Amino acid sequence: MKSERKRIGWRLLPLLLCCLLLTACAELGALSGSDGGHSRETEIIALSELPEYSGEPYVEINGNEPDFSKEEWTEESFEKYAELDRQGRCGTAYASVGTDLMPTEKRGSIGQVKPTGWQTVKYDIVDGKYLYNRCHLIGYQLSGENANEKNLITGTRYMNVEGMLPFENMVADYVRETGNHVLYRVTPVFEEDNLLADGVRMEAFSVEDEGDGISFHVFVYNVQPGIEIDYATGESSLGSSEAYGTETQEGEIRGNSRSKIFHCPGQAAYEEMADSKYLVIFETEKEAEDAGYRKAKR
Amino acid sequence: MIIIACVDERNGMMFNRRRQSRDSAVCGDILRECGGKKLYMSAYSGKLFGDVQENDIRISEDFLKEAGEEDICFVEDIPISGFEDKIRTVILYQWNRRYPADQYFPLELTDGFWELQRTEELKGTSHEKITKEVYERAR
Repeated sequence: MKSERKRIGWRLLPLLLCCLLLTACAELGALSGSDGGHSRETEIIALSELPEYSGEPYVEINGNEPDFSKEEWTEESFEKYAELDRQGRCGTAYASVGTDLMPTEKRGSIGQVKPTGWQTVKYDIVDGKYLYNRCHLIGYQLSGENANEKNLITGTRYMNVEGMLPFENMVADYVRETGNHVLYRVTPVFEEDNLLADGVRMEAFSVEDEGDGISFHVFVYNVQPGIEIDYATGESSLGSSEAYGTETQEGEIRGNSRSKIFHCPGQAAYEEMADSKYLVIFETEKEAEDAGYRKAKR
Repeated sequence: MIIIACVDERNGMMFNRRRQSRDSAVCGDILRECGGKKLYMSAYSGKLFGDVQENDIRISEDFLKEAGEEDICFVEDIPISGFEDKIRTVILYQWNRRYPADQYFPLELTDGFWELQRTEELKGTSHEKITKEVYERAR
């Protein structure tokens, strides 16, 4: 079951996702009673075309259109969480995020919750060392939900920080600035009986302006570059070097921590970067990209 | 031409044809920066400045073409490619947060062609710290 970039799992994706979607539909139906299979056929097609993880933390699905029916639009805040399944896994978390749902105090401890697939394991190559985070499905900054076991899954640091957090930030800013509501749904996607999710599907839609401010539908991969993960159990190991590019080049890669742009030998600002206070050195372009940097155009 | 843009930690500007973020403190600061001069922008951006007097803002989808050397343009959804040579000043508001992005600010301001003239920090209404940077074309 081990797959550094989940090669095995993604090959089975079309079949897998159809099955998962049935589960997701059942969960959503139980939650809202109004989803009723709306647009699910088009979504199955989009999901079946999900590409293998290839360096970007998320991929847009369903044309980046969320799957909320007009009947679901509401200017009232709410939050709903699916019951844990027989294996103790989380289902869909669904909210209408408004300012009245957002927290007014700092987050408390969530360490007492042990989501399925949880392992306490550290790697030097992981930001913050710990491979796994307890990932809120509906982020704390949106719902104020603290240690709710129906809202916490085991997710890699990469999925949590690079994948989910930017979307949460975007929604949180919008709600705070406009006072509007955002329909927000996060569905963890598990393959068969695996304890660790392959990733999460995130959908959001701003209600009062009919999606003018916020509208997205993405799948965020539960991967950690450089680490092999067994999704059945959550066990992990350091990945093989070949897959993550240890090839050396003629000269180091010079990144700018401010602009998040990296420069290769021979490029316009390469020499100038040598004395920059924002200089960050990478061994390979791949390493720079994995750290979230983009290559300079010139 | 002076252009104004807002970017995240990775120079992202937009995602799925929508701005990444907004802050009323930035809108106020942009208008102060204009000092009564007309501010050019697209209809999409115009919604951010809804309450502002009409004679302070010029809405056009061709505003980059119409703007003169001294004019100020707020850029969000309209690409500046093709107009780079007209730009002599860039005012960048950094959110200091990370958002999803599929449209990025295209100018590389650290390539030696631009000089950082001043930096200010603003407290936003929904952002703890917004960094404003003003670059002038150096050569």
